[in-house]
Amino acid sequence: MAPTRLASKPIGVNENLNGLLGHGITTRSKQLASLKTHKDSLKVPNKRKADSPLKDVTAKRAAFGDITNAFNKTTALQDKDKVMGVKKVTVESKMLPTVKSIKPQTTLNGKTSKAKTLQRVATNAIDAVQKHFAKDPVKPVATRAQNGILKNIEQKKDKTVNQNQSQNSAKSARSDVSEPSLYMTALETTSPSETSKEEYKTISEKLDKVNLDDTIRSLDEETEVPHKPPSDVPDFDQENWNDPFQVSNYAMDIFNYLKSRERLFPIDDYLQRMKGITSWMRALLVDWMVEVQESFELNHETLYLAVKLVDLFLTRSSKTQPEKDHLTKEELQLLGASALFIASKFDERIPPLVDDFLYICDGAYTLSQLLKMEMNILRVVDFDLGIPLSYRFLRRYARCARVSMPTLTLARFVLEQCLLEYNLLEYSDSKMAAAALYLALKMKSIGNWTPTLQYYTGYTVKDILPIAMAQNATLHKKPKSAISTVRNKYSHTIFFEVAKVPLIEDSVLSS
Amino acid sequence: MQKYEKLEKIGEGTYGTVFKAKNKETHEIVALKRVRLDDDDEGVPSSALREICLLKELKHKNIVRLYDVLHSEKKLTLVFEHCDQDLKKYFDSLNGEIDLDVVKSFMYQLLRGLAFCHSHNVLHRDLKPQNLLINKNGELKLADFGLARAFGIPVKCYSAEVVTLWYRPPDVLFGAKLYTTSIDMWSAGCIFAELANSGRPLFPGSDVDDQLKRIFKLLGTPNEDTWPGVTQLPDYKPLPIYQPSLGLAQVVPRLPARGRDLLARLLTCNPALRMPADDAMAHAYFHDLNPSVKNDRC
Repeated sequence: MAPTRLASKPIGVNENLNGLLGHGITTRSKQLASLKTHKDSLKVPNKRKADSPLKDVTAKRAAFGDITNAFNKTTALQDKDKVMGVKKVTVESKMLPTVKSIKPQTTLNGKTSKAKTLQRVATNAIDAVQKHFAKDPVKPVATRAQNGILKNIEQKKDKTVNQNQSQNSAKSARSDVSEPSLYMTALETTSPSETSKEEYKTISEKLDKVNLDDTIRSLDEETEVPHKPPSDVPDFDQENWNDPFQVSNYAMDIFNYLKSRERLFPIDDYLQRMKGITSWMRALLVDWMVEVQESFELNHETLYLAVKLVDLFLTRSSKTQPEKDHLTKEELQLLGASALFIASKFDERIPPLVDDFLYICDGAYTLSQLLKMEMNILRVVDFDLGIPLSYRFLRRYARCARVSMPTLTLARFVLEQCLLEYNLLEYSDSKMAAAALYLALKMKSIGNWTPTLQYYTGYTVKDILPIAMAQNATLHKKPKSAISTVRNKYSHTIFFEVAKVPLIEDSVLSS
Repeated sequence: MQKYEKLEKIGEGTYGTVFKAKNKETHEIVALKRVRLDDDDEGVPSSALREICLLKELKHKNIVRLYDVLHSEKKLTLVFEHCDQDLKKYFDSLNGEIDLDVVKSFMYQLLRGLAFCHSHNVLHRDLKPQNLLINKNGELKLADFGLARAFGIPVKCYSAEVVTLWYRPPDVLFGAKLYTTSIDMWSAGCIFAELANSGRPLFPGSDVDDQLKRIFKLLGTPNEDTWPGVTQLPDYKPLPIYQPSLGLAQVVPRLPARGRDLLARLLTCNPALRMPADDAMAHAYFHDLNPSVKNDRC
């Protein structure tokens, strides 16, 4: 991908509006990203501007800026600089206790009070626009943002728009495709001084072995054996056969496959091997990552993948590397940012640029540190990013059981809150998802673990009860202001205020 | 590069140059794809990241094998299994017409590779003869996953700028960003016809409009009856109303009736009705497929 720094001109906005009218939804950041795209297509030489890269970044992504638009459209573009200040302040204060951060007496500091005001206004604006928009909570962060710019258009829009479409259909010229021009053209010989033999590392051997059984799996056999649920269980995939976006013909194969891969990514009690990093620091880090996900309007899958990368990296590197090479607390935020950077490139249609990630760390790390950490993570996880995620399992389970959006959202809140919980890392993602859904059903007094849920999750209540209780204990923990992002996020009406659903006792779970 | 001796340049992938090389110890011939990592850059390009990650997962006889990833400060080198040629070059080397048994065998292997991708939640998104590798044993392998991506269920919006024009389905030509495994099935249909015609492309359009017109001249211009929702696609534009010519027999004269039936099911404008890979493998056209191809398990 050709990274380009753009002059903050609203190129392509009209195009985007057309897309909106035709299709419904786009988001501010997607628009902004399409500006990038436009520049990309111009093939601007890949040059980082010497002067203030931050200035450029502010023109690119600002979730709160999007919200700000709701009350002041005209100043939207100009406001972004201030608005990113909001992010910056929160990031700073959030990571200050544990992670390397910048002296606050830079120019940013002067913006603090203003930023706070902005944030407050932005929050009000959220509340205001949410009322128009409660109908599509599936990708709420994006929704919230788009509401700002599009409120007027939105009201006229067809209300029956397909949920799938409304989640994402952004009109943008951007592809998630790289430019081929960046790379090698000639047969160069590597100078021996640059790369000695030892510097090359073999990455794939291990995984080759692990994956052998997948190789043996015969597709013919798979396709010949239809997945047929028992008679008391509705065949969700059959019912959705005509909706191609459900990929019904492969859904069962895919989720069985994902489940079979979970064992490849065990996470252990790595902190006991590490000096200087605590579960509290990890919680702060994940809380900050949730905040980044919101402000960059990243997919939730990106967030979950990034958190996985953090834990996998720490699990594996603390095992294989000598103690002196273990990650320090000063590098923890670097790890989180790099993990988000990788996850974005893997999953996002239009990933944020590397400068965006440097920016959200408030200049605490250099480009070269971030890129080095990127490679380090990729090496440690062996370039395997196909990690099964609880978020994906949960959506599948909830859809198969036809669970309502508020209940699914409550289960998502449980999962996301539990991302911060070090003690829950040992459980598999599919079990975490099933347990969160069970807990949500109980919290809403909706009912029991039906044969349908048992069939599609593959778990009985007995399998997931201990996990649901551990998740419940997490919800019962006294809220701490330093790690309140998830709770705040799910307190919005757009998320049906699920964070405010009354908690239940464990006894209700086992009844 | 110490371990491998470069022999010749093979071509350009979606990103990076591909070389033929020899493992100095084992003398095994491999293909090397180099990805340069600039300091002043976005780190590992997302296309390389995805290709590496997806190919590490997709181990199948009909998918090119990624043996290894070597990395230094400045570059990544992907080590692939080497195949003798791609389907495009195979076409070029044909003297006369292609053997219809070969067509059937290649088509089946293409579908089997695709079904494997799709059931492992991967879309290829750039199927074309240049990206299908052929070896001496008559094996066909999907290659170049630089545009591929993993998909979730339900799918989300992905880039509409995928698939080389001639092999791009009408929904994506109309700007659809919400697509699924059907995107690859259209390309497979185009390749099927090209195979049957010994390498003559089916829809060699010059731009998006020309591409759509070529498609609709053969298959008829879709409307809301034949394809509900078509007029709502982002880049939809009314095109001349062509009646379906039902002329597949003229277009692929050498293909038997069953083959034409399969082709018609793949070349279905409405993506919801396009046949998926696993169903296509079970199509009657393949009933008399050489058992050695069919049973050649991955």
